[in-house]
Amino acid sequence: MPDPVVVLIEDEPQIRRFLRATLTGQGYRLFEAPAGAAGLVEVGSRQPDVVIIDLGLPDMDGIDVIRRLREWTAVPIIVLSARGQERDKVTALDAGADDYVSKPFGASELLARIRVALRHAAGASHEADESAFKVGELQVDLLRRQVVLGSMEVRLTPTEYKLLTILIRHAGKVLTHQQLLREVWGPAHTDQTHYVRIYMAHLRHKLEAEPARPRYLLTEPGVGYRLAAD
Amino acid sequence: MSKDPPELASPPLTARSILLQTGYLTAVAAVAVATGISWLMFPFFELANLIMTYLLAIVVIAARYGRGPSVLAAVASVAAFDFFFVPPYLTFVVADTQYLLTFAVMLIVGLVISGLTARIRRQAEAGKHREQRTAALYAMSRELAQTGAVEDLVTIAARHIGEVFEAEVTASLADIDGQLQITRHEGGLPVEQDEVTLSRWALEHRQPAGLGTDTSASARAVHLPLMGHRGSLGVVSVRPRRRDIFKIPGSLRQLETFINQTALAVERARLADEAQEARVRAETERLRNSLLTSVSHDLRTPLATITGAATTILESGSRLDQRTQQELLESVRDEADRLNRLVQDLLEMTRLESGALQLRRDWHPIEEVVGAALGRLAKSLGTRRVTVSIPPDLPLVAIDDVLIEQVFLNLLDNAIKYTPPDSAIRIIVSATDRSVTAEVADHGPGLPKGQEARVFEKFYRAASDSRRGAGLGLAICRGVVLAHGGRIWAHNLPEGGVAFLFTLPLTDPPPAPLPADA
Repeated sequence: MPDPVVVLIEDEPQIRRFLRATLTGQGYRLFEAPAGAAGLVEVGSRQPDVVIIDLGLPDMDGIDVIRRLREWTAVPIIVLSARGQERDKVTALDAGADDYVSKPFGASELLARIRVALRHAAGASHEADESAFKVGELQVDLLRRQVVLGSMEVRLTPTEYKLLTILIRHAGKVLTHQQLLREVWGPAHTDQTHYVRIYMAHLRHKLEAEPARPRYLLTEPGVGYRLAAD
Repeated sequence: MSKDPPELASPPLTARSILLQTGYLTAVAAVAVATGISWLMFPFFELANLIMTYLLAIVVIAARYGRGPSVLAAVASVAAFDFFFVPPYLTFVVADTQYLLTFAVMLIVGLVISGLTARIRRQAEAGKHREQRTAALYAMSRELAQTGAVEDLVTIAARHIGEVFEAEVTASLADIDGQLQITRHEGGLPVEQDEVTLSRWALEHRQPAGLGTDTSASARAVHLPLMGHRGSLGVVSVRPRRRDIFKIPGSLRQLETFINQTALAVERARLADEAQEARVRAETERLRNSLLTSVSHDLRTPLATITGAATTILESGSRLDQRTQQELLESVRDEADRLNRLVQDLLEMTRLESGALQLRRDWHPIEEVVGAALGRLAKSLGTRRVTVSIPPDLPLVAIDDVLIEQVFLNLLDNAIKYTPPDSAIRIIVSATDRSVTAEVADHGPGLPKGQEARVFEKFYRAASDSRRGAGLGLAICRGVVLAHGGRIWAHNLPEGGVAFLFTLPLTDPPPAPLPADA
C-alpha cells in the first residue's frame, strides 16, 4: 500500500511547518494549501486519503470548503479549531467533517485522528462490515446482537443497542448529538438532544465500571460523543 | 380649648365660615343662658353680680370662637341686661341714667376680655401649630437620615411636605453638573408648562418663585430651589390645596426649613455617591494594575522558559546528551500548556465580564459533565483516588455543559495544584426539589482562615502561593455559576482540606419525556 496522501489547508505557515515535520516524518505524503480556494484545487488534483483543514481561512469560511468538498468526495476531513469554538466544530461536523482536533494540539492526538479516519475510509471502501467489535473489556457481536462486558453478558434495550451499534460503526470518531438523533430516532426528533444524553447515561451505567469516569463512552462537551477505539 | 381639632388653626375657608356661623349662634345662645341664670339669681343677688354671669359667657365665647362672636356676645349681654334686669323691666328704656355708665363699663370690659382671650387663643394655636410642624420636620429629617439614594430622598421629602402643607408636591433634581436639566419628577403635581418654566427659573436664580413670593405671585404653586453649597441641586414645587396658606405668617419660612433639610440630605447623598464612585474607580485602577502585573509576569515566565529551552537546543543540541534534550523539550511542552491555560482563562474571564457570554443551555446529566472533566484531567490526576457520588435518579439540569465542565475542571485543577499527589479528591452531587448541589473536596491544607470568600476574587492568590496560575480559575467558576443563577462557596473541612460547593437551580420545566423504548 502506497504512502497515504494528506492535503493540509491552513494559512498559518508555522503550523504548516510543524505539521510538515510531523506528517512526513510519519510517512505521509503531504500537499499544502494556504487558502480555501487553493485547497479545493489541491484536493481535486491530488485525490488525497485525508484532508486536514483549519476553519479560519483568509479567503473563505472553512465550513464552506467542507460543504464544497462533500458535494463530490467522501474523503475523510479533519478540522483544526480552537477550544471555546464548540459551535463551529458542531457546524463543521454536521456539514460533513469527520473529526476535529482542538488547537493547541499534540502531534500524537492528530496522528490518532488521522489513523481512525483512514481506517474508517478503508472499511467503507471494502464494504466489509465488521461483525465484531472489541475495546477493553467490552465485546459486541453484531451478528448475534450480543454485548459482553468482561465475561458477563449485558442486556440492552433495543434503543440502547441501536445507539451502541451506531457508535461502533463510527468507533474512534466523534458523533454530534444531531447525527446520533437522526440515526437512532429519525429526522423528526433532531431537537430532542436530551434523548441521546439519557440513553448515553443508561449505556454508561450498564457498560462502564465507573459511569462518572467512563473508559469507552466518552463525552466531548458542547460537541457530542466518541466511542473509544483503542 | 384642648378639644380644638388640629386643623382649627388653618381650616379651609368653608369650614372656617361654618365655624364662625356656629360661633355667632352659640354667642346668642350663651347670652340667653346667662340671662336665664341671672333671672334665677335676680331675687337674691345684687345687679353687679348678674353682670359677672354675662362676663363669664363673654369669656367662654371669646375663648371658644374668637373675636367676632365674643363682640356679639358683649353687645347682646348689655342689651339683655338692660332689657330684663334694669328698671323699667322688659324695655330698653333706662330710668336711672347711672346705668348708662354700667352699660358702658360692661361693654368695654366685655370687649377687652374678648380681645385678650381671642389673642391668647391665637397664640396658643400658633404655638401648637409650630410644634406640629417642628415635629413633622423632625420626622422628615429622621426618615431622610435613614435613606441613602437621592431619588428616595426627594420622594420622602415630597411626601412629608405634601402632608404638612396639604399640598401636591413635585421634587425635581438637577443632574450632577448641569443646571437646567430636570431629570426626575415625583408626586402628583401635573407638569404644566408655566410651572416648569417657573421651577427652572427658581433653579437658575437660586431663589423661590411663584405663589406667595415676589416672582409670579399669582402662580398656583411655589417653587423653591434645593440649595447645596455648590449650587442648586433641584427644585421642589409645592401646590397647596388652599391658596391662602402662605398668607399665614411664617408658613413660607417653615416650608423653607423643610426644603433646607431636604437640600442637606440630597447634598449628603450626592457626596456619598461621589465618594463611592471614587472608591470604585480606585479599586478598578488597582485591579487593572494588578492584572497588568499578574498577566505580564504570568505570560513572560513560560515564554522565557520556552525561548530559553528552544535556543539551547538550537545552538548546542548536538553537544547535549539525550536526557537533557528530552528535559528541555518537555519543559517547552509544559510551559506552552501553561500559557495556553492562562490565555484560555483570560479569554473566558473577559467574555464573562464583558457580558458577551451567552449560555447555551440544554438538558444534561451532571454525571456526564463530571465524567468529561475527569477524562480531560486524567493525565494530571495521575494515581490520585477520586471518588464520585452521584445519585442515579438525579434529574437532568438545564446548563451550558461546556461552561459547567469548565467549573469542574477549574475546581479539580485547584485541588490537584494545592494537595499532595497521593491525596484523595471527592465529588458529591445531590439534589433537592429546587436545585442541584455539587461539591468538590480535597484533603489539602485548606484555605487560610477568613479567606473563604476572597478566593473567588479575580487575581486572588494565597499569600504563600508558590504554585503558578493567574488567580482566575475560581473567579471564572463564580462567574459561570452566577450566570446559571446558582451560588458558589467554599469552606474548610473539620477533617482537613477544603470543600468547594456550587448550586444550579432546577427552575425550568423538565424536557419532553422519552418515547417508549421498543
